[in-house]
Amino acid sequence: MCVRFEPSNVTEMNDWIAIGALALVGVLIPFGMMAVSYLLRPTVPETSKRATYESGEIPTGGTRIRFNIQYYMVALLFVVFDIETVLLFPWAVAYQDALAADIPLVRALGPMLLFVAILLVGLAWAWRTGAVQWARTPRQLETDRP
Amino acid sequence: MTGGQIAGAATLPSVPPTVPLQDTVLLPERLGELTGLDGFGLGGELLATFIAAFIVGNLMLAMTGVAGPWAKRKITAAFTDRIAVNRLGPAGLFIILADSVRLLSKELVVPENADRPAYDLAPIVVASSALLGFAVIPMGSGIHLADPEVGLAYVFAISGIASLGLVMAGYASSNKYSLLGGLRAVAQNIAYEIPLVITGMSIVIFAGTLQMGEIVSAQAKPLLTIAGISIPSWYALVNPFAFVLFLVANFAEVGRNPFDTPEAPTEIVAGYQTEYSSVYFVLIYLGEFLHIFLGGAIIATIFLGGPAGPGPAALGIVWFIIKIWAVFFATQWLRSAVPRVRIDQLIEIGWKGLLVLSFANLVLTAAIVGLIA
Repeated sequence: MCVRFEPSNVTEMNDWIAIGALALVGVLIPFGMMAVSYLLRPTVPETSKRATYESGEIPTGGTRIRFNIQYYMVALLFVVFDIETVLLFPWAVAYQDALAADIPLVRALGPMLLFVAILLVGLAWAWRTGAVQWARTPRQLETDRP
Repeated sequence: MTGGQIAGAATLPSVPPTVPLQDTVLLPERLGELTGLDGFGLGGELLATFIAAFIVGNLMLAMTGVAGPWAKRKITAAFTDRIAVNRLGPAGLFIILADSVRLLSKELVVPENADRPAYDLAPIVVASSALLGFAVIPMGSGIHLADPEVGLAYVFAISGIASLGLVMAGYASSNKYSLLGGLRAVAQNIAYEIPLVITGMSIVIFAGTLQMGEIVSAQAKPLLTIAGISIPSWYALVNPFAFVLFLVANFAEVGRNPFDTPEAPTEIVAGYQTEYSSVYFVLIYLGEFLHIFLGGAIIATIFLGGPAGPGPAALGIVWFIIKIWAVFFATQWLRSAVPRVRIDQLIEIGWKGLLVLSFANLVLTAAIVGLIA
């Protein structure tokens, strides 16, 4: 794919300026609301008020708790699949054109099928190792017991 | 762009079927011409663009204002046989104003040990990332801010930024429930993002483009004609399986029932927003509602023909608003009707169910399109 130097690129540029303008509005609206709130709200400092909320009880334990390692596993899995979706987008856009240009189906669809198949092997592996299963069934717990 | 036709135009003989529904002129240019600002060179054009962005931003803000304090209460009340707000104004509509003042004038209580810059930035990230997605949505009646070629990929990418804001909110609050809520939110968003994008891709196969305007005009073609009524080829009708998949993945993506585990009140207080009060709470709440509407806008654009509907093209914005409110109504309906899934069930549904189904949908769609062609 080469870069086109057509008049359409000018409007393309304007598109991103418009998106930038909305980004500016999107930041100005929260700041505007914060400014209004700053003018309206009272400030009554009191030490116990700022305690970490734990349903009205005195907080127990630290706040930086240990959490399930599985959150990390699915995040790793996500990276793989997310890159894969990025790589699939150009194929999806070009697919109809490729068919219209009489490229045989094996060449238009085949490589994508292979690509998805490799990823699904990865998913099957994650499935088997239990990366996407967070709780164990009673039967699994039974077999795990030494 | 050829310009689409009005959906079901055959039913209304008074309307010429060649009226372009999708305007090729975007809102900034149109405003520039209308106000004469385009005569002032680059500065005038920039100002027109800013005014257009301001209109789009405030339109969505107004809808969120109606949805959050008023419609949500009214809908939930109707489902549970109650009346809800009815004292201020017609049908209690003025509660919107009263509630905005009430919420904004609350004291801002920042918890001790809060990680300050991140704690303050998170609500802004959540709110503005949602607003930014509306830039590429064609809302009909000429309200369309920008139409870049990567439209659909852009809108998915922008809506993904919210996960960052939520995890920032959860971590910086220095509360274990907030932390768990933030982690759950990000685990959920990444699990359902992939089915969402893959299902959206099966629509790209039909449309052959990522440009939102083109996707909408591709859906104006008649699918079939029954007894003189021509049914447009909205992709929800062309591929209903993809529509259902996308709807489910979208509910999970915006964290609504049955997938509202990140803020499950029975388990982790209010999740990532536990420690937020006053204007910060408003911003996070606003961001969540904007995300529901953004999800609705994506669904309307790629599955329901965007602003298409019977009547003149000027009614486009009305149809568009009806469609995104229908999605909002569906989220509130589910909120009243279905129980919440557990976090482990949620992950399994996402990775073992929806992901596999969305890949099956993509491969099948590609194969069927390839065999027909």
